[in-house]
Amino acid sequence: MKSKNPPKWAIRFLSWFCRQDLSDAVSGDLLELHARRIEKLGKWKADWLFVWNVLLFLQPFALKQKVKNSNKLNFTTMLLHNLLLAYRNFKRYKSSFFINLIGLSTGLACVLLIFLWVSDALRVDRFHENKHQLYQVMEHVEQAGGIITRQTTAGPTGAALVDEMPEVLSSVTTTTKRIIDYTLSVGNNDIKAKGFYASADYFKLFSYEFIKGDKNQVLSDKKAIVISESLALRLFGTLENVIGKVVEWQHDKEYKVSGIFKNIPSYSSVQFDFVLSFKGFRDDNEWVTSWYNTAPQTYLLIKSGTDIDQFNDKIADLIRTKTDGRASHRSPFITRYSDAYLYNRYENGVQTGGRIEYVRLFSMIALFILFIACINFMNLSTARASRRIKEVGMKKVLGAPRRALVFQYLGESTFMAVLSLVFALIFVALFLPQFNIITDKQLTLDLNLDVVLFLLAIVLITGLVAGSYPALFLSGFNPNAVLRGKLTGIISRLWARKGLVVFQFTLSIILILSVWVVYKQIEFVQTKNLGYEKDNILLFGKEGLLRETEKLSTFLKETRNLRGIADASSIGHDMTGHNGGTYGVQWPGKNPDDKTEFENVSVNYGMIEMLGIKIKEGRTFSEDFGAETEKIIFNEAAIEFMGLTDPIGKVIKLWREDREIVGVVKDFHFDSFHEEVKPLFFRLRPEHTNYIMARIEEGMEQEAIDNLQQFYQIYNPGFPLNYWFLDEDYQALYAAEQRVSILSRYFAALAILISCLGLFGLAAFTAERRTREIGIRKILGSSEFGIVYLLSGDFTKMVLIAIFVALPLSYFITQRWLESFAFHIDLEWWFFVATALLALLIAWLTVGVQTVKAAKTNPVQCLKDE
Amino acid sequence: MKGTHLGEFEELVLLTVGILFDDAYGLAITDELEKRTGRNVTISSVHKSLVRLEEKGYLKSHMGGATELRGGRKKRLYLLTQTGVRVVNKAKQLRNSMWDAVPKIVWEGGKI
Repeated sequence: MKSKNPPKWAIRFLSWFCRQDLSDAVSGDLLELHARRIEKLGKWKADWLFVWNVLLFLQPFALKQKVKNSNKLNFTTMLLHNLLLAYRNFKRYKSSFFINLIGLSTGLACVLLIFLWVSDALRVDRFHENKHQLYQVMEHVEQAGGIITRQTTAGPTGAALVDEMPEVLSSVTTTTKRIIDYTLSVGNNDIKAKGFYASADYFKLFSYEFIKGDKNQVLSDKKAIVISESLALRLFGTLENVIGKVVEWQHDKEYKVSGIFKNIPSYSSVQFDFVLSFKGFRDDNEWVTSWYNTAPQTYLLIKSGTDIDQFNDKIADLIRTKTDGRASHRSPFITRYSDAYLYNRYENGVQTGGRIEYVRLFSMIALFILFIACINFMNLSTARASRRIKEVGMKKVLGAPRRALVFQYLGESTFMAVLSLVFALIFVALFLPQFNIITDKQLTLDLNLDVVLFLLAIVLITGLVAGSYPALFLSGFNPNAVLRGKLTGIISRLWARKGLVVFQFTLSIILILSVWVVYKQIEFVQTKNLGYEKDNILLFGKEGLLRETEKLSTFLKETRNLRGIADASSIGHDMTGHNGGTYGVQWPGKNPDDKTEFENVSVNYGMIEMLGIKIKEGRTFSEDFGAETEKIIFNEAAIEFMGLTDPIGKVIKLWREDREIVGVVKDFHFDSFHEEVKPLFFRLRPEHTNYIMARIEEGMEQEAIDNLQQFYQIYNPGFPLNYWFLDEDYQALYAAEQRVSILSRYFAALAILISCLGLFGLAAFTAERRTREIGIRKILGSSEFGIVYLLSGDFTKMVLIAIFVALPLSYFITQRWLESFAFHIDLEWWFFVATALLALLIAWLTVGVQTVKAAKTNPVQCLKDE
Repeated sequence: MKGTHLGEFEELVLLTVGILFDDAYGLAITDELEKRTGRNVTISSVHKSLVRLEEKGYLKSHMGGATELRGGRKKRLYLLTQTGVRVVNKAKQLRNSMWDAVPKIVWEGGKI
């Protein structure tokens, strides 16, 4: 027969948690009960009931009580004692104290700055009350080179979805992708302001605050204009009695102010000064009502709880249905508006990140830097352990439990973290304006609840991480061995410290290399020959009288004669991105299903020459040849795409009409370097041009602009000249990369600095500890060089290991980043060699100061103590 | 006054301790309670009450009476204290006086 006893572990468990005076009585009672049950219920069931009964005793009354004596008093005494010890230690080892302070506070400052930046980025477009239901319609467009994804939709999309899909509560159609400067006038007051068109429910879906007017009604009238607070002040000088007043738009149309909204917050991705009714836009632009044209943006309010994937499946065929299968290449889908800003990149129809990657990248960098600073703290305090080891031994002998020692060291590091935080806050306050310039943001250091919670969390984490290793390491010593001077234990654990240094340097090397590659790529993008000359080109919108072709050509002729201006013409494209395309090009042998779009660029006479675009074959448009409207010029990419040989003189069809190819231009970059050069054609259509460009003679910028401004005022009265430069626009294309490049340069420098601080501290410490060894070596005839070699050998080894770990990792990381550019630099082998050498050099310099000093000491000095 | 109030279960435990007189320990009290009330009584709740009642000063205890059945562990034997006796008495008197205050007609099932 089996044993009659209940499970032993249960009894042991009971006596573990149960208070002493009850334990015997209870377990006795339970055993008695168990014996009785075995006979009635059988062993198995009785055992279970026994365990169950034991568990039932897990109640406060039965638990072991803590000793409640003068704990509180003891706690404060110990705290004060620990603080005093920390203070004395800081005072005694000033250099490591300062290294820790500088390291941790710069680390924390980085984290704080990045936190501000990241939380700002995460806030964009998330302030709308409907944010969980607000969706944007986008379109996947199939092209020969793969799927491209666009925010432009067909005008009727919104209304059709509201009608046909029960999930869609309401929709707005807007032209938010084309927010441009217009001239608004009240009396003689002409002002440039940014605006766009939006349908009636715009302010119902998007939560912008209103000062005057009912936000549900403001856009219902065709002739209504809704303006911002600041625009109202600029136009009228007041906010009172502005509603109902008339504003002249482009000296062409009159609108009545129907509402005033508060200035758009900086964390909105859309920035504008006024909104006009989309109804009015539709009246002037018949084409918006067609399913074939895409330009406006469509936003939807979706019923909460809708399965978005299912919904997307339902609407994927919308365009095909509406166009009887003709526009077969476009598949609409919806994406949450509040996510669209951060997740803005699509590759071949798949969401592949976007701005969120920078958010992640910087969060990673922040953590790395903080961790590097924490490692310094760990290393220096364990290195100093031998100094404090007697203290630990003594405390242990006097009965300090290990826990108390752990708390002492954690407390010390947390104290250090708090101190560093104070300095970090000062740094942040000092550098925030500079940081704002680099990032082009308006970040402020408000100590609101979020920030305070974050600070508390980060200080606690820093304190714990930085203190964890020394706390566990120091408290574990055997007091007997320590007090007898046997410190063998420490030496065996050196590998951990070395490992941390290797880790630190690995991170730093990765950062150096990445920063270098980013810098090189940005430089490449900015200096690369674009295929046209972007410098010294000034441009402005075509408006007012200049919209008449006759007047425009006179204006251009006169402008060319102005002093300081070399050339002028007009164009329909801003040369920095996709402006408008068509798949209406037909050529012999075209695949009927192919819907690849050609970039459509309208130009005036002389434009191609002025931009310095090279002619490969044929000619450009010229007045010498009479009517040029039926001629067309392609770029090389287009000719190659169509597969035409000997293209000059051939006739193709554009929108079913014959066009003769008169020229082929070499490829030039009209879009971002992230993109391949796409097919493009030029048409001579002065009336379709939108921008006037002028090339300014070098060194005469100011004079040219003054002359132009004067002339423009006479020729086009009532329209303020609002010009900008093409190379500025071009730079703006890479603003994000540029910012990342500058920021990561700073952060990499900091990471290196902090790592070196740590190395410096360690080197100083080693040199100090080996003073006597060095003295004896010198007496025995070692050279100074030999000593330096001896001392730096260890560190060199660590840095070498770090290099071997870091290089493959950084190759992988930078290669991935570069692949996001269609045109990018190649990773050269010498990037890696140079980075490795740089890391070694920095390490040697850091360690060198200490080792040379140690090697130069007179052996008498260091040996005389004995 | 806080602490002198007696819960129903506590009152029953006190009475059971009285009934068992010189062999009142956890399991025996549980058995007696189950037998008399017909309810399911868990041993932990009995111990919980015993601890509380001892803290309140209604019971006192001493160790004794180890048996082999109990794995050689002693019982904790409980006895009513003077205050304990007074408190049970008080509870009884309170009931009696309230019984007496109920009009006869209620017991006779009369209608108003």
